[in-house]
Amino acid sequence: MGHWRDSDPLLDMDFTPDPSKLSFQADSVRRKIISAYWTIIILALPLWWYTTSIERLSLPSSQVASNAQKRLQIPVRLAVDVGSEGPLVATQLQKSLNKRIERVPERWDGLDVRVSTSAEAVDGTYIICSGREVAVMRDRNLVYPVGAQSISGLTDVLSDLIAPFPSTSEPEHRVAQYSPRYRLSFSLLNEDAAAGNAFTEWDVSDAIARHISPILNRVSILHNFTLESQVQFHAPLAFNPQHLDTIFGITPEDLTVFVNSAEWTLSSSASNDPVLHFVLFIPSAARRPLHILNNEGDISPSNAFLLPQWGGIVIHNPSLQDIHSDAKFSSAILDPIFSAFSSHLLSLLGVPHLPTNVQTVSRTHDALTDWQFDALLRYRALNNAQRSKDTLQSIVNLVGQIENMPVGPNVRDDIQNALIALEYMYDASKASLTETLRHSARAFILSSRAFFNPGMLALLYFPAEHKYAVYTPMFASAVIPLFVAALREVAAWRRERKQKQ
Amino acid sequence: MQAGWKAKFLLGLSLCLSALGSPIGEQFDEQLTLKSLRDGKVLSRFSFTTLLKGASPRNPQTLGSDDISQHYTIFPLALGQILREYAITEMHLTLNAGNWNYDRWGYPEEAGVGTGAELWAWMGDGPSDTVDDRWKGLRNALAGLFCASLGSLDEQRTTAPVRSFEPEGNLPDWGPPHQIRHASLASEHVCTENLTPFLKLLPCKSLSGIASLLNPHRLFDADWHGMGVHVLWREGEGVEVRLAFQSISDPVRYSLGRKQDWDFRTLFDRTIDRKCPVAQSSHVVVALPTSAEFDISPEPTSNAAGLATFDVATLNKPLDVGLRWRFDFQYPLDFDSPTSSLSVQRTLRGSSQARGQLSLVLKNHRNTSLHVVYLETMPWLVQFYLHTLQIYINGSRNDDAMSDMTYMPSIPHARPATFQCVLAVPPGGALHLTMDVAKSFLRYTEHPPDAQRGWDLPPAILTPFDPTSNRSANDPIGGRIYTPALLVDLATPDFSMPYNVIIFTCSLVAFIFGSVFNLLTRKFVVVHIEPTKDKKE
Repeated sequence: MGHWRDSDPLLDMDFTPDPSKLSFQADSVRRKIISAYWTIIILALPLWWYTTSIERLSLPSSQVASNAQKRLQIPVRLAVDVGSEGPLVATQLQKSLNKRIERVPERWDGLDVRVSTSAEAVDGTYIICSGREVAVMRDRNLVYPVGAQSISGLTDVLSDLIAPFPSTSEPEHRVAQYSPRYRLSFSLLNEDAAAGNAFTEWDVSDAIARHISPILNRVSILHNFTLESQVQFHAPLAFNPQHLDTIFGITPEDLTVFVNSAEWTLSSSASNDPVLHFVLFIPSAARRPLHILNNEGDISPSNAFLLPQWGGIVIHNPSLQDIHSDAKFSSAILDPIFSAFSSHLLSLLGVPHLPTNVQTVSRTHDALTDWQFDALLRYRALNNAQRSKDTLQSIVNLVGQIENMPVGPNVRDDIQNALIALEYMYDASKASLTETLRHSARAFILSSRAFFNPGMLALLYFPAEHKYAVYTPMFASAVIPLFVAALREVAAWRRERKQKQ
Repeated sequence: MQAGWKAKFLLGLSLCLSALGSPIGEQFDEQLTLKSLRDGKVLSRFSFTTLLKGASPRNPQTLGSDDISQHYTIFPLALGQILREYAITEMHLTLNAGNWNYDRWGYPEEAGVGTGAELWAWMGDGPSDTVDDRWKGLRNALAGLFCASLGSLDEQRTTAPVRSFEPEGNLPDWGPPHQIRHASLASEHVCTENLTPFLKLLPCKSLSGIASLLNPHRLFDADWHGMGVHVLWREGEGVEVRLAFQSISDPVRYSLGRKQDWDFRTLFDRTIDRKCPVAQSSHVVVALPTSAEFDISPEPTSNAAGLATFDVATLNKPLDVGLRWRFDFQYPLDFDSPTSSLSVQRTLRGSSQARGQLSLVLKNHRNTSLHVVYLETMPWLVQFYLHTLQIYINGSRNDDAMSDMTYMPSIPHARPATFQCVLAVPPGGALHLTMDVAKSFLRYTEHPPDAQRGWDLPPAILTPFDPTSNRSANDPIGGRIYTPALLVDLATPDFSMPYNVIIFTCSLVAFIFGSVFNLLTRKFVVVHIEPTKDKKE
């Protein structure tokens, strides 16, 4: 290379133009090029930000927080109708009740109990009248031998009637979670029909009409129901019952695994509504009679049991007469079974039991009294309100914690509507119990739907490392020359300025 | 005296009722048909029919409101819920494994023998939910019920071939006409997880009656096996659910190639120990061989027209029906000559990953000409070039053999193609149809996990019919004929190194970018090098 330079030194000394004099080598052109690159990058940044960011709409978190502070207060108005003694008894009763409320506040939380005289009674007030010795009830009336010494007994009865659950905000473990619609599935399960003496048929529609439908009609404000029934001829147990002399026994431990979900096709795949199962189990002819044993190993008097939040099971050992008559159940056999089912259903729906010393006298054969029904409405309304407030708070916390969680318009709208429903609920709480329940149920459904919105899970498990892994190879190699060129140019520009000074 | 007479009458009446065995309103019948085939194999076909008397399918007009309560005794509730939830009038689901060999085995007793999963349903139109929404719900619900990947029978596989899938029952007249939806998935593998939910739909499960012979260990060892669920409505009778299981087992293989004797023990490794208490009829029917000396045990209940019938309810149990031949089995010389009137061969030719050729050969073994409806429901992975369609009859070009063609082209990533036409095959002749096809290039995410295996294409369906009668009647020419499924090899990327690909592309881009950028911004200066004395010398 040096060779031709040596031989022709004039060429590069005199004829080569100075490259810095060339138009495209001017400093201004180079700076323009570099700034053009940087302008494009900076202009593209918002686009990049927009296309890669996750849609996170802002949630009304302050509203949710303020809502969590609010308390639903459901008024319970009691009136004493005992003639001239009325005002005195009313103040005594109020005092006695207030003492109870102070002692167990969680049981009375959300209930605003006021006692007055019958003169001030408004619609929906519970009337307490003096009467015979036995405490008897009729609609919203309570007949009680009112007297100065019976105030404490009356307070006991009233506590059991008005606040039957140990806590108003914590759900009972037996009671099925609130749902606007339940499926009630009645199953007649023969353990082994081929072994003989099985029931191949039952008049379930008739039994439901007599025992279950009155309850369903009464609680139709709270829930809708879908009814279905099936008969199975081979429903084996997953365990072997104990063989004791002449009977077969199921121990309390066995009861927990009594439902053989692998072999009994009880579940439904067509809908998402919660199912309450009512199972009538007929033991195989080889295993009769089958009884439930208590903890001591003795035969329990009842052959029915309840699985919390799942349903009820009745074990029926057909007697000799049943077997000889027909393969069909007579209503005489089905009646006690279905009355067990109906009490299971009441427990699962959260209907409180009446205090043992209280009898009902009602003109119609209502499935439940107004006292029970109101207590159920209050329980469901307070529970739904509490749960929807908790759910809303959880969503806000979760979205705040996980930055990758998208929040779409569906979620935001559901949350806003749930808040509106809660507002309506507070407004309605003074006026109407059924309206309060309706709005609390709406708030609960909307908040659950927002919480379980599948769109929120989309990017939950997309780690940031993935992004770096894709971006680095590209940007590290492309951005470094850009940076270096920019820095060099800035440095050159500063040097020039210094030299000029 | 009078009282005694009354008691006797009542006893007799109750005996009659209990002998009826099943409740009024629902009826359950079970049947097992066994037939020895020419090549020594045994066809067994289980059929379990439940009739819900007087019932009718749900009218889709009522979908918005509450449905009636469903109270069943024998009818499977799990299936009933799905049928009513989506207001399905008629439904057929088949899950088969293997290829049915029409030439050797003849026409199957259950027509649906296409490889893999096939689902088709007739539905009325309603105001609230569209037919497509309910079709989607139906296949997802059935996927859950049968543990099968029917959920992937999506829009990309769904077609509406009215002509090849006419309703087998009646369709109620609700105003808007009924619509059909059909989809098949040849790559579905049928196994014991599908049989277990199938057995749970039977009133006696697999614990008593004929169903106790359904032993998964033996059934899935068979040369061919398939199950089907058929729901249809018969006007004036009610809703009928037929659960069917067919299998082709090979007793010659079990007996080390000497005898074709079989009995329940060798075929299913079980016997019928108990009768199903709710079955109104429970029969085992054996087709007796015509040209060999044999011995059947036990004594059949009745024997007529070459069919021996055993009544499970009355015969001694355990019941083990067996057929014994006097001589060893010898393959007949014509064991591979066709027994059906039509032989079909369908292949996909070409080794390239971009192009191929679909070829269909039909051979008519009858001495009258045969008309068939030819249906291709092709996923968009393979696209037809319809202008290249050529038909040869006995080797000479004859495009007139095709008529009544309808074609609905596929939409990539959305809809399959439906190609339907009528082909006329001359007596004793062969029809050869060819058509060029293009194979698609898939997106990275559209490949299945086992991408290198290729894609299973659904079988083509041929329905012979008599052109002289108005409608394409199924019989007597034979029902639908399914061709074997095809496997197509599409261009498949190397999935093992996506990150390497990213790195490689990025490096290339960075290199080009860097070079261009440097060239644009480099400052050129002249460096004067003083010639040194050493160099000058």
